Amino acid sequence: MLNAIDKQVLKEVADLEGIPKGAYNIRKNGKLLGREVSANINIETNEKGDGIIIDIKPGTVNESVHIPVILSQAGLHDTVYNTFIVGEGADVTIIAGCGIHCGGKESEGHSGIHEFQIKAGARVKYVEKHIAIGEGTGRRILNPTTKVFMAENAQAEMELTQLGGVDEAKRFNEAKIGAGSVLLITERVMTEGRQTAESRNEIELAGTDSKTNIVSRSVIKGNSAQDFYVNLTAFARCYGHIECDAIIMDKGINQTVPALRALHSDAELTHEASIGKIANDQLMKLMSLGLDYDAAVNRIIQGFLG
Amino acid sequence: MLELINISFRTSESGAGAESPAGRTIIHDLSFTFESGGFYAITGPNGSGKTTLAKLIMGINELTSGKIIFNGSDISNLSIHERSNAGIAYGFQHPARFKGTTFRDLLSIAAGSDDEGKLVEIVSRVGVCSLDFLDKPVDSKLSGGEIKKIELATVIAKNPKVAIYDEPDTGIDLWTIGPMVELLKREQKENQTTTIVVSHNKAFLEAADTLLLIRDGRIGYSGDLAGAVPILEDLSVCTFNELCQGEDDAQCYR
Repeated sequence: MLNAIDKQVLKEVADLEGIPKGAYNIRKNGKLLGREVSANINIETNEKGDGIIIDIKPGTVNESVHIPVILSQAGLHDTVYNTFIVGEGADVTIIAGCGIHCGGKESEGHSGIHEFQIKAGARVKYVEKHIAIGEGTGRRILNPTTKVFMAENAQAEMELTQLGGVDEAKRFNEAKIGAGSVLLITERVMTEGRQTAESRNEIELAGTDSKTNIVSRSVIKGNSAQDFYVNLTAFARCYGHIECDAIIMDKGINQTVPALRALHSDAELTHEASIGKIANDQLMKLMSLGLDYDAAVNRIIQGFLG
Repeated sequence: MLELINISFRTSESGAGAESPAGRTIIHDLSFTFESGGFYAITGPNGSGKTTLAKLIMGINELTSGKIIFNGSDISNLSIHERSNAGIAYGFQHPARFKGTTFRDLLSIAAGSDDEGKLVEIVSRVGVCSLDFLDKPVDSKLSGGEIKKIELATVIAKNPKVAIYDEPDTGIDLWTIGPMVELLKREQKENQTTTIVVSHNKAFLEAADTLLLIRDGRIGYSGDLAGAVPILEDLSVCTFNELCQGEDDAQCYR
């Protein structure tokens, strides 16, 4: 069922050596390649037929669901709308991601919208990796959207990673955080050559004692460009922090725009942002431990994006 | 063993301030030989060139003129990592803070191994920091004292022939300085580490076999602490010696 390219892509995006254990849905070139449900996690195609609904029963713990997407057909621009319903008190890991293998001149792209309805007391870890490989010259385009709606006392940890190969990325993250809920987002993006990546985030701290921590780590190599925007709006007593760091290498450019809006007098919002080259004192330290310049740069970047 | 022969360091024109467009000489034609296995303390007023001297040995600052001979080889043109791999290690006064790099990462690079047993052994040997430190990110959340202990451990993990510590006691609490001095003495004795400590702290000055007093980029005195005491006392009349000079109305009190 899986060819060599599929296996390579799955390994890169989902760290899978083959078909995963537990519930999964593998989409390839706009079609279903394989699906498995479990006693607690149901996956079915939505009414419109433009995506799937992943329904996780309340109280499901220690289960995971894999939903990777493989794109290897030249000229195909795949669009999908997936909905995750995470039942009350569930504690699950969702591994998503899209891998493009480009073998020709034509562009290939995937626009995936992931909507999360996280019910009261549920905990979700969402891991999403985007990569593009292959010797083709066509542009590889990935435009992911995540919409997160959190009820009370829920927790979501989202790791969003794009490390190379993607020519053009436009990401949009939207979240509404309910009372006592915590949303942690870590975005890691590396661009090179003439690649561009943009990330827009609209995060609402809607409920009392909601919390969020948004971390962005960007490495901009070659002549690439990355922009990061986040609007964090507080409607209640809450705590929010944004931390965005961009390391520019070569001739890269970056815009980082964190914005805080407190529409409630008991909101506590903070941000820190930095753009610059690799810090000289970090290089000196690693070189004084015996690494040459290039090895020191690699270690710093590896840690930064790790 | 480590010979500094007529070394000078002058800041480049571009790096100098507006007041000194042609650059400023920080180290003047300085010569000294560090003997193998010795414990040296470098002291002197602020701005006298102590840190610059230490950085010249490590290759962090490049010599303007002169030569550095290490175990018979001229290392003057070697880069920082080449000097490190030749056996010189350096503990920074203000250690770098990273994002995403842990104490374990630094220690593994220094020790050349990520073997858990080996890393634990190094941490125990250093003694000044607990095992829970291993997976702590070396970032801005660490206190000044914590990061200095990590810095010390990475130098020791390198098993250097020459260990240079620039003000190792900065940010360290009073109760840890004693054990820190003992640790450096123990490393010196057991591994014959040539130890060079830049410090104003009496505990390090007393621990040293030889004291180098740097004034205006030159060696003002070298020898034992007893011989240096009169000069140090004289200097301590004014802690901000260089700031007071030339100010007619400035008075310094003990």
